[in-house]
Amino acid sequence: MVAPIIWFGIGIIVVIALVFIYYYNKIVIRAKRIDNAFSQIDVQLKKRADLVPNLVSTVKGYMKHEREIMDTITKTRAQMISGSMKDRLNANNKFTQALKSIFAIAENYPDLKASENFKLLQEQLEGIENKIAFSRQFYNDAIMDFNITVTTVPGKWFASLFGIGKKEMEYLEIEAGERKTPKVEF
Amino acid sequence: MRATFYEEISRNKRNSLILAILVSFVLFAISYVFLLFFGYSLFIIVLIIEVVYIYVTYTKGDQIVLKSVNAQPADDVKNRFLVDTVEGLAIAAGVPKPKIYIMESPEINAFATGKDPKHASVCVTTGALENLKRDELEGVIAHEMSHVQNYDVRFATIVAVMVGLVAIISHVIIRSFRYGNFRAKGKGGAAILVLFVIALILAIFAPLISRLVQAAVSRKRELLADSNGVKLTRYPDGLASALEKIMKKNQGKMNVSESVSHLFISDPNKSPLDRLFATHPPLEERIKILRAMG
Repeated sequence: MVAPIIWFGIGIIVVIALVFIYYYNKIVIRAKRIDNAFSQIDVQLKKRADLVPNLVSTVKGYMKHEREIMDTITKTRAQMISGSMKDRLNANNKFTQALKSIFAIAENYPDLKASENFKLLQEQLEGIENKIAFSRQFYNDAIMDFNITVTTVPGKWFASLFGIGKKEMEYLEIEAGERKTPKVEF
Repeated sequence: MRATFYEEISRNKRNSLILAILVSFVLFAISYVFLLFFGYSLFIIVLIIEVVYIYVTYTKGDQIVLKSVNAQPADDVKNRFLVDTVEGLAIAAGVPKPKIYIMESPEINAFATGKDPKHASVCVTTGALENLKRDELEGVIAHEMSHVQNYDVRFATIVAVMVGLVAIISHVIIRSFRYGNFRAKGKGGAAILVLFVIALILAIFAPLISRLVQAAVSRKRELLADSNGVKLTRYPDGLASALEKIMKKNQGKMNVSESVSHLFISDPNKSPLDRLFATHPPLEERIKILRAMG
C-alpha cells in the first residue's frame, strides 16, 4: 500500500517542477527578447549612420548652397550613434527630415538622380528607415508581451517567486505616419 | 491576441505531426498492397523508396519547391528594394532573415516555404516586383512572413509532400495493375480479388481526397496569414490594395504544379473545379475583411 502513495508523491513533485521550469523559461525568454529587440534598433541606427559618408560624398558637389542641410546630416549622424536611445531616435527623425530635403533637391539634378550609386543609396536609406521603425515596433511588442506575462495570473505569481518584476521600460513611440517615408516620385 | 498566436504555432506543429503520421500510415497500407500482390522484394523496395522520399522532401522540400518553379536567388544590389522589405518584416516578426528568391512570371504572386523559421525562403514573382508599390509589397511579404512565423510553412511543406506522393503512388498502382502479372492464385483468390478492387478504388480516389484536404486546410490559413501579416505592417490597406491588383491583373495561368499551389498568396491555377478544390478564399472576401480593419 505504501508504494502507490510514494509514486503519487513523486508524480506531483515532477509536475510541479515542470510547471516551474516552464514559467521560468517563459519569463526569461521574454526578457531576453526585449534585449534582442533593443540591440536590433541599435544595429539599424549604426547601419544608417555608416551610409552617411557615402551619401555626403555622392551629393556634395550638388549641395554647395545647402550648407545647412549638410550640417544637419553630419551632426545628426554623430548623435545617432551615441547617447540615450531616445536622443538617438530623435536624431534619427531629424536625419530623416534632412534626407527628404536632399532627395527633393536632387530632383533638380537629372544626372545625380540618374546615378546608380545615388539610387541605391536612396533605397538603402529608405529601407533602413523602415527597419528602424519595425525594430521599434518589435521592441514595444516585446515589452508589452513581457509585462502581460508577469502581471497576469499565474505568470505574476511565478514572477514574484523568481524575483522578476514588471519592466519599467520606455515604449519608443512611433509617430503616426512616420514609418511611411514619402518616396520622391520620379 | 498574443496567446492565440502561440496556440497557432503549437497547433501547426501538432497538425504537422498528425498529418505526417497519417501519411506514413497510408503509405504503409499502400505498400502492404504491394506485398500481397508482388511479394516481399517489391514491398521492401517500395518501403525504402517511400522513406527516402519522405526524408528528402521534408529536409529539402523548400529547395525542391523553389527548383520546381525555377526561382532564382535575389540579388543584394539589384533587388535592394525587395531585400530591404523582407529584412524589415523579418525584424518586425522577430524571425531570422529568410532566403529571398524571385521567379519569372508576369502574374503578381508570392510564397514562403521551409520547415521552420530558421530554414525558410520567401519567393516573389517578377510581376509582383514590377506592379506593387512599397506598401503593397510590404503587405504581401508580411503575409508570407506570418506563414513562416507560425510554422504554416512546415505544415504546408508536408501537405505538398503528401499530395505529390499520393499522386505518384496511385499512378504506380494503377499502372502496375494494368501491366503487371500479379499472383492471384490458389485458395485466397476471391479475397485477393476483393482487395484488388479496394486498392484500385483507393488508388483512384486518394489523389482526389488529398486535394480536398489540401484545399480545406489552406483556405483557413490564408485568412489567418492576412490578419497576422497586418499585425506586422499595422497597415491593412497595403495588402488590400495588393490583392486588388492581383484580382485585376492575374489570369490564374502560372503553370506551377498543383501540389504546391496552396503555398502561394493567391491561387496560381484557376480551374472550373475551383469551388471544390480552391486552396484560397475568394479575393473579394479577403479584401473586404482587410478594408474593414483599416
